[in-house]
Amino acid sequence: MHRREFIQLTSALAGGALLPAACTRPTIIAGEIKGVSAAVGHLVRDGALQGAPVTTERADVVIIGGGISGLSALRRLHRNGHQNVVLLELEGHTGGNASSGSNAVSAYPWGAHYVPVPNNNLTEYLSFLEACGVVTGYNPAGLPVYNEFYLCSDPQERLYINGSWQDGLIPASGIGAADKADIDRFLHQMHVWSAAKGKDGKEAFAIPVDASSKDPVYTALDSITMQQWLQQQGYASPYLHWYVDYCTRDDFGTTIDKVSAWAGIHYFACRKGRAANAAANDVLTWPQGNGWLAEQLRHDTEGAIRTQALATRVVPVEGGVAVHYYDVQQKQLKAIDARQCIMAIPQFVAARLLPDAAERMPLLHAHYHYTPWVVANLTVKQLYERSGAPASWDNVIYGGASLGYVDATQQQLQQLKPKRVLTYYRPLATASAVEERKLAQQRTHAQWVQMILDDLRIVHPDIDTQTERIDVMIHAHAMAQPLPQMIHGAVRQQLRKPVNGNIHFAHTDVAGVSIFEEAFYQGIQAADAVMEHLITTPVS
Amino acid sequence: MDNTDKEHVEERGNSAEWLLLTAVFIIATCGLIYELVAGTLASYVLGDSVTQFSTIIGVYLFSMGVGSYLSKFFNGHLLRRFIQIELLVGIVGGFSSAVLFITFPLAASFRLILYAIVFVTGVLVGLEIPLLMRLLQDRVAFKELVSRVFAVDYVGALLASLIFPLLLVPYLGLIRTSLFFGMLNILVGWYLLRRFKGEVKRTAAIQLTALLFLLAELAAFIGADAIMKLSEHLQFSDKVVYATSSPYQRIVLTRNHRELRLFLNGNLQFSSADEYRYHEALVHPAMQASPQVKRVLVMGGGDGLAVREILKYPGVEAVTLVDLDAVMTKLFTTQPVLTAINKQSFSDKRVKVFNQDAFVWLRDNRQQFDCIIIDFPDPSNFSIGKLYSTSFYQLVKRSLSPAGYAVIQSTSPFVAPKSFWCINATLQSVGFTTIPYHNYVPSFGEWGYVMITQRPSYQVPDTFAIPARYINKGVMQQMLYFPDDMKTQQPLAVNRLNNQALVEYFEQEWGNYSEQ
Ligand SMILES: Cc1cc2nc3c(=O)[nH]c(=O)nc-3n(C[C@H](O)[C@H](O)[C@H](O)COP(=O)(O)OP(=O)(O)OC[C@H]3O[C@@H](n4cnc5c(N)ncnc54)[C@H](O)[C@@H]3O)c2cc1C
Repeated sequence: MHRREFIQLTSALAGGALLPAACTRPTIIAGEIKGVSAAVGHLVRDGALQGAPVTTERADVVIIGGGISGLSALRRLHRNGHQNVVLLELEGHTGGNASSGSNAVSAYPWGAHYVPVPNNNLTEYLSFLEACGVVTGYNPAGLPVYNEFYLCSDPQERLYINGSWQDGLIPASGIGAADKADIDRFLHQMHVWSAAKGKDGKEAFAIPVDASSKDPVYTALDSITMQQWLQQQGYASPYLHWYVDYCTRDDFGTTIDKVSAWAGIHYFACRKGRAANAAANDVLTWPQGNGWLAEQLRHDTEGAIRTQALATRVVPVEGGVAVHYYDVQQKQLKAIDARQCIMAIPQFVAARLLPDAAERMPLLHAHYHYTPWVVANLTVKQLYERSGAPASWDNVIYGGASLGYVDATQQQLQQLKPKRVLTYYRPLATASAVEERKLAQQRTHAQWVQMILDDLRIVHPDIDTQTERIDVMIHAHAMAQPLPQMIHGAVRQQLRKPVNGNIHFAHTDVAGVSIFEEAFYQGIQAADAVMEHLITTPVS
Repeated sequence: MDNTDKEHVEERGNSAEWLLLTAVFIIATCGLIYELVAGTLASYVLGDSVTQFSTIIGVYLFSMGVGSYLSKFFNGHLLRRFIQIELLVGIVGGFSSAVLFITFPLAASFRLILYAIVFVTGVLVGLEIPLLMRLLQDRVAFKELVSRVFAVDYVGALLASLIFPLLLVPYLGLIRTSLFFGMLNILVGWYLLRRFKGEVKRTAAIQLTALLFLLAELAAFIGADAIMKLSEHLQFSDKVVYATSSPYQRIVLTRNHRELRLFLNGNLQFSSADEYRYHEALVHPAMQASPQVKRVLVMGGGDGLAVREILKYPGVEAVTLVDLDAVMTKLFTTQPVLTAINKQSFSDKRVKVFNQDAFVWLRDNRQQFDCIIIDFPDPSNFSIGKLYSTSFYQLVKRSLSPAGYAVIQSTSPFVAPKSFWCINATLQSVGFTTIPYHNYVPSFGEWGYVMITQRPSYQVPDTFAIPARYINKGVMQQMLYFPDDMKTQQPLAVNRLNNQALVEYFEQEWGNYSEQ
């Protein structure tokens, strides 16, 4: 043991010594709750913004929502020469669920934090990545070469299980032979399915989701839950069940007893990316997470973006669409008369802006359930480490209430990092979404801090004393849950149908699965539809 | 309890009880401190803190139980016994860490000594409370007695556990901490002795012992640094002539009649007896091969020895050295013993030192160098492993002039052939021509280097026209030859940031080696 480790150890002891005190008395740690502008958003819900607009302007296209879907649509339109486009975003910044923040230690994500190595058939996505320097070229076999600064540095993942950290997230350490057999069989089955094709010749589990086969052999899986499917297949291992549940909570904020088996399997079987210089399970990541990708998408389109602009109504009019929005800064209601509109916002918001809200809302209430999530960024000094695998990018606690934390400083190059920023993720999926949302909005900063530290103290007993700051963000409607019948049922298709040929939907809600690629292609598809109309319908 | 004791204690009334409770408080604090000291020290020198702490706490608690049990055999003169025990705890506990530090390098069975000390301290501490309770038992109702003594005992323990990591270890260090509490124990004994003078017979002998113990501990307290030095001296088997700590490492310099040795975190960095073999082999092949060398970059090498070799070339105009550790480069700029070895290379006007992280520095660097010498520590962990990755070597490529050569110290191809050839493969994968070679450095064993260039091939020069003790054309030709036991048949992964294959190889190979 060297001196530095010795000092770490003693400071860890300090943490240990303070434990009794910490258990009884809440730790006071600086920080704040950063809400997605719920208050502003509620103006729409409460119908407070129904007056007549003060100004009216014209545009070819209005995009509502500056998340990945909206930004992707904007980029697509720009690249095809459509400059007369306005993007409205209610927050002070674009990015949506891929937003990020930064402090003196590091930039960090407020939501989405990585993308897996892309599937090789996603040409538009790969060319976007090439344009922003993530793909640096292709090897002779045609496989993309990735910029290694953006591939997640090793060590990538570790799991705290049976008293120590193991390498990787699939339970392995201290598990029995029967568990291992179950896990191996499951992984093998997923591997087989990742190559499977339906009778229609399409991939069984594709990205985007809508490119997947409609072969009933596979779509039937959308009528049962993941847990039911696991049971049907005779998977009994609690370790396997935990792992699958961890994955579906991680990607869909939904536990295995609720999530559709098709969606659950899609998570495992949809990734087939191969690279010249990365393994199949490698991921791309940045200190600010997918905030980095959002920045790249935004590149050169800044002029079209209006932030703090809350869309309040979308009305089909003769020859186009009238979009009303509330300029939060000037506190004015404004209008844009556009030929085409892309609604790159969640369905539960979109429905309220449209004239047929009365028909849409009951469908949404019945079929769309949004899990609230809490994301926290912790600035920490050296933490005491329990034995086993060293600190990694993704650090998960077996059986933990959260999804663990991701180290935002993982991609920093320097050998020594006196401080780090850890991004903590927790879908609030225990009680019903409505209850969880209510609870989440009532909790004080101190209560969040307590909740987070109670969880992480298991692996870092000195976390109370070593944490300098915790900022918390609540995503009250983080993502729509892919419950059975969401993906292959009729409602999703019904709600996404373009209105009047000039209002298009583009959001991961529409895809049914909330991942970057879906958002990216949602934007592209909507932009393509818009361009088709712009070309075929002459300016009035 | 013996009658005289009882009466006298009773006479003194409340203040006596209060006093004894204060004593409980202090000894409880002391008791826990000894346990913490032993646990920390064991983790410090043996590693694996979880095991160390858990076994030490176990043994300690067990031996306290033994002490409690033994207390029933103490009959009569309880106060006197109690004071004697205080003195004993004071001397055993007080010297525990000093003794352990000194015996660690010497003793084959350090653990035996460790647990023996923990056991003896535990037994003595275990005696304290039962004896005290008996001293107090007739004064205070049993219920009250138990509640007060234990309350005070546990509060003392809490205090100890709080101040130990927060104040004691950082400010006093382990040796002084245990001595300090040893003295407190003795003072408690001493004070009780004076306070209850009439009640204890033959106080003179005890007082004298207390005084002697106190003086001994005081002397040790003052000389704690010397004890630490002695421990290091014993550990390194030679005389430690200099030792210091930087935020990154422990730097220790030892000397015997033949050589000076530098250790970083306990690993031998160089021996003055044969370092020239290493540094000549590291520097000259690349320097000779690179045409018209004016600007040279050295990464790592905070000892200035590679720079010393570089400065032998009169054509060199600028040497840039990037080393993380400012304490190290300062030491090698100012310490006369050290500047004698590096020939004051850091004071040369052509040399510029940057104390920065090499990866970050190189990423931000826009200059090109005619020759680059890379002398990092072995890739024994993920944070150093990055400095051997494709991404790092891409940056090296960008910073090396097209005709220039660079060289990378690449661990031992004999002990760690997979590691060595993995570095070679990684360099090839970013498009370098590699020229692996190795030589024998007695204090290291067989050592390996990989020279790289963007030129298609390498030619051994006809002459190494610089003053050298070791390298020449013949030696160079020899160094290029690898016998089979330094090769590996296994296909090797390229070391990337996203797989850190090298660290895995290195751990396997050196792990096996050090277990032998
Ligand atoms: C905590 C969390 C972690 C995640 N992690 C990952 C990950 O690691 N990898 C991954 O691929 N995916 C992840 N996701 C999924 C992520 O949601 C998608 O990848 C993607 O970012 C969604 O983009 P979007 O454009 O479809 O939706 P959103 O991000 O929801 O964008 C909608 C935008 O519309 C704006 N808006 C809403 N109402 C209005 C209005 N009335 N007027 C104007 N603007 C409005 C919102 O402010 C927002 O900016 C994560 C999601 C969450 C919540």
